[in-house]
Amino acid sequence: MMMLTIAWIALPLLVGFSIYLLPKIDRYLAMGVVLVSVGYGLTLLQRSEAITLRLLDSFGVTLFADSLSGYFILGNALVTAAVLLYCWGQAKSAFFFTQITVLHGCVNADFICADFISLYVALEVIGIAAFLLIAYPRTDRSIWVGLRYLFVSNTAMLFYLIGAVLVYQSNGSFTYEGLQQAPTEAIALILLGLLTKGGIFVSGLWLPLTHSEAETPVSAMLSGAVVNAGIYPLVRYALLFEDLLLILQLFSVATAFLGVVYAIFEKDTKRVLASSTISQLGFVLAAPTAAGFYALSHGLAKAALFLVAGNLPSRNFQELRQSSIPFPMWGVLAAAGLSLSGFPLLAGFGAKALTLKSLPPWQSIGLTIAATGTAIAFARFIFLPTRGFLESDKKMSSGFWLACLLLVGGLIVANSFSLESYTLPNIFKSLLIIAAGWSIYSLVIRRLKIELPRGAEQFENLIGAMSLILVLLFGVGLV
Amino acid sequence: MTAILEACIFATVMGGFFGIILKKNLMMKIISMDVMSTGVIACYVLVASHRGLFTPILETSEQSAESVAYADPVPQAVILTAIVIGFSIQALMLVGVMKLARDNPTLEISEIERSNTP
Repeated sequence: MMMLTIAWIALPLLVGFSIYLLPKIDRYLAMGVVLVSVGYGLTLLQRSEAITLRLLDSFGVTLFADSLSGYFILGNALVTAAVLLYCWGQAKSAFFFTQITVLHGCVNADFICADFISLYVALEVIGIAAFLLIAYPRTDRSIWVGLRYLFVSNTAMLFYLIGAVLVYQSNGSFTYEGLQQAPTEAIALILLGLLTKGGIFVSGLWLPLTHSEAETPVSAMLSGAVVNAGIYPLVRYALLFEDLLLILQLFSVATAFLGVVYAIFEKDTKRVLASSTISQLGFVLAAPTAAGFYALSHGLAKAALFLVAGNLPSRNFQELRQSSIPFPMWGVLAAAGLSLSGFPLLAGFGAKALTLKSLPPWQSIGLTIAATGTAIAFARFIFLPTRGFLESDKKMSSGFWLACLLLVGGLIVANSFSLESYTLPNIFKSLLIIAAGWSIYSLVIRRLKIELPRGAEQFENLIGAMSLILVLLFGVGLV
Repeated sequence: MTAILEACIFATVMGGFFGIILKKNLMMKIISMDVMSTGVIACYVLVASHRGLFTPILETSEQSAESVAYADPVPQAVILTAIVIGFSIQALMLVGVMKLARDNPTLEISEIERSNTP
């Protein structure tokens, strides 16, 4: 298993750069890498014991993989596969597929890292590959959005690096376990880096613009898989250290609320989806033991939603309500939206039930309210008017439908991971949340016309928010 | 002595960070980020030199290894990786700025943001 893990980590980078040499078979090479990842993820889920690798000695690279990593890896692989299917028939260059493969590989590496420096390298390469994908259309706007993303993430990673050296200073090693003896400032700096990279709370406000202005397949990849790269290490720390758990739980509830408020009042479909990503990341972070399954179900649903939203006739809800959307596309929107709202028969139900099961009451109540908000936000998609399939809709490529089929199929099959959560109270509760959300939507929210200010998303405020979060983390750490 | 150096490093990091926030020009922001990363690199070098200043190369002929105060090689090796990554990100950003400069010659961030945000 050790050799297999190392080969699996190296494969995407090797193949990714080979795509440049063999541009004729770029799509097949990329898909091959992703299929290997699916296999590896499933193997991890099947194994009962974890894999620990320590290359060289205590100064070397430490890797750790268990079923939690398995869920994250499987989610990443399925989302990447859907994105590849979507792009299969499009005129994308070999460069695009190289970046997708490298990005996929680095996100995978992130999910099995167990020391701060490997994690740093993985996160920085993710930043570079994501920047290249966002800036792929080469328009001024895409370059600016990419530049803004790279700038914010690199500044956050500089803080993270200072934290990492402080951990080394007190432990003589960079492994995650060293966080226990590390000083408060080291923990605050490392958390700041990961919270920003993972899009949590105020430091995640870079996310709506980046995810909504990227191209459709890139948005799906970023929201479905790449944001998890910042969340996974946080979940790992929460599992390792009791003390951090409370801070992260506070952040998770705050994020769930912040994102959902943005999602309810946005007017633009892709911005609603991006804001809801922030809120869903709060749910992923809420219960470390259920995080893997939640991230998997969220990634599949969100990728499907982004793929469909990118192909609707308009991005404005007002215009969409006046026109109508083809029934099959509505079907995909509804399935993914219902899954995120926690409807039974879809993976989101089990994920929500597992997450809410083992929480302290204050957090459970907070997240239930946020879940109602999620139902409100997705009611706007589900109540869009539909029409039959017209001749003019035939232009949708078969790749698009295959990608949607894979993602929605994944949502249904993933139910088998959580069959034990199908109890009568759980089903009743989830239906109640959805009914409440939908009635609030049709009675109140639909008539409101509120514009949320976007000042907090300005570049300087994003950087400034980092210093505020740092002070906050430091304050909480001292208490 | 260490305290003074630590203060200098702190000042460099903070100077760079506030440069990113306060400078109006995108180019100056990127240079401020470089200042900040210089501070971070200096921080690693300082941590490496806590145990000693000698280059960590073992020479068997002269003295035994224990008697020489070697610098710690691990943070130095690590920061070398970080320098390379930081420099490649910087290069990418400058290419992006070159492209943006065609339509926004002043490179003022408020202007770029106004014309490129929906």
